[in-house]
Amino acid sequence: MTSSTPPSEPAPPPQPNRADLPRQFPDRGAMVLELAARFPLASGGASPIRGGSKPALAALAAVDPERYVASRNHLDGAVSGLSPYIRHGVLSLAQVRDVVRQRMARGPGLVSEKLLQELAWRDYWQRLWIRLGDDIWENQEPLKTGQREAAYAQELPDDIREGRTGLACIDAFARQLIDTGWLHNHARMWLAAYVVHWRRVRWQAGASWFLRHLLDGDAASNNLSWQWVASSFSSKPYLFNRANLERFGAGRHCPGCPAAEACPFEGSYEDLQTRLFSAPQLDDQAKGEAV
Amino acid sequence: MDCPVLWIHAEALGPANPALLAHPGRPALFVFEPGLLEGAAGPISLKRIVFLYECLLELPVTIRQGHGAEEVLAFAARHRADGVVTSAWVDPQLGGIAACVAAALPLQVLEAEPFVDLPEPVDLGRFSRYWRSAGPLLRPDLAGPLESS
Repeated sequence: MTSSTPPSEPAPPPQPNRADLPRQFPDRGAMVLELAARFPLASGGASPIRGGSKPALAALAAVDPERYVASRNHLDGAVSGLSPYIRHGVLSLAQVRDVVRQRMARGPGLVSEKLLQELAWRDYWQRLWIRLGDDIWENQEPLKTGQREAAYAQELPDDIREGRTGLACIDAFARQLIDTGWLHNHARMWLAAYVVHWRRVRWQAGASWFLRHLLDGDAASNNLSWQWVASSFSSKPYLFNRANLERFGAGRHCPGCPAAEACPFEGSYEDLQTRLFSAPQLDDQAKGEAV
Repeated sequence: MDCPVLWIHAEALGPANPALLAHPGRPALFVFEPGLLEGAAGPISLKRIVFLYECLLELPVTIRQGHGAEEVLAFAARHRADGVVTSAWVDPQLGGIAACVAAALPLQVLEAEPFVDLPEPVDLGRFSRYWRSAGPLLRPDLAGPLESS
């Protein structure tokens, strides 16, 4: 069936129903209060990121594939911010694809296809979700960390969940996740690697935590990216070190970090592999390039 | 289907929703369903609900809380509808709601434009294999404008 279906008869006059949720509010604050009362299990407040097509189209208008590829791995890089709008269909992936392709073609030289590829990652994850269904919560492959599955804790520790590990970077990522519902992809990878490899918590606990908060959260992109970090959907576990975080982290975290002198991320990738995994991972570790 | 209602779900909250485009002016419903809000990942935070709500307020849609399929069917009865039109989904929980609706009323599912049309079966073993098929279909044809200039 396609959208060429003939339009049907106009709707009959609306019939007010007292169980319908309200559509009129004096301001955003009033809406947030109303929703907090109606959804008592939902924690926290509103994100500064607004829903709707106006902010979505503004973000789309600002997309620049060239600036994106040059800076996307940096926390202050020119990332698109489109993911919450794509996730909920405010913008379709095809619509964004067309804009990106137009902008790639208008430059004088070849523009990297990286942004197009990032959109393709979403399509890829969605196709996998259709294929996997609820098995998206299961390891797709054995872990390559040399650790037994039973070595991983079932629950996310409170200090991570509450952003009080004492590690400035990790706590800042957790707070940003909780306060805004959005994280740069590199921060997601660092945070996921910390949870799974340094704290040895099963990826499902971290993925659930992310899904509660991420405005763009769905079990496809989220769970499979966690599995990519954990190594149940990749050939090796993803690790980062302090040098990687300092290089791409916009210089925000290490200065003044209370744990700077005993940073658990300090060391070469080889050192960290030896420290974290029961069998050495002999492959070259990805040196911090985002997925 | 002469007078359907539209079921709008959380994967298609934009003006390009295929059901809204195909049936402008028909009554449309979005349901905040406990199963989706408190599923395997636990209750979603308020900021996600606020974000969804802000998207919904731009659409001509009635918003309800409750069991997804029951609400859709009650909404259809309220508007004396002879069927339900919706857009395709990926989340299997939405598929469960759709199956319950379809057991009681005709359900038409409209597909959005695909990101890339790949011949089946698509190798999804790793992204690199998918990209080998998808990349050539997605890259802009840079030769075109140069040749015509």
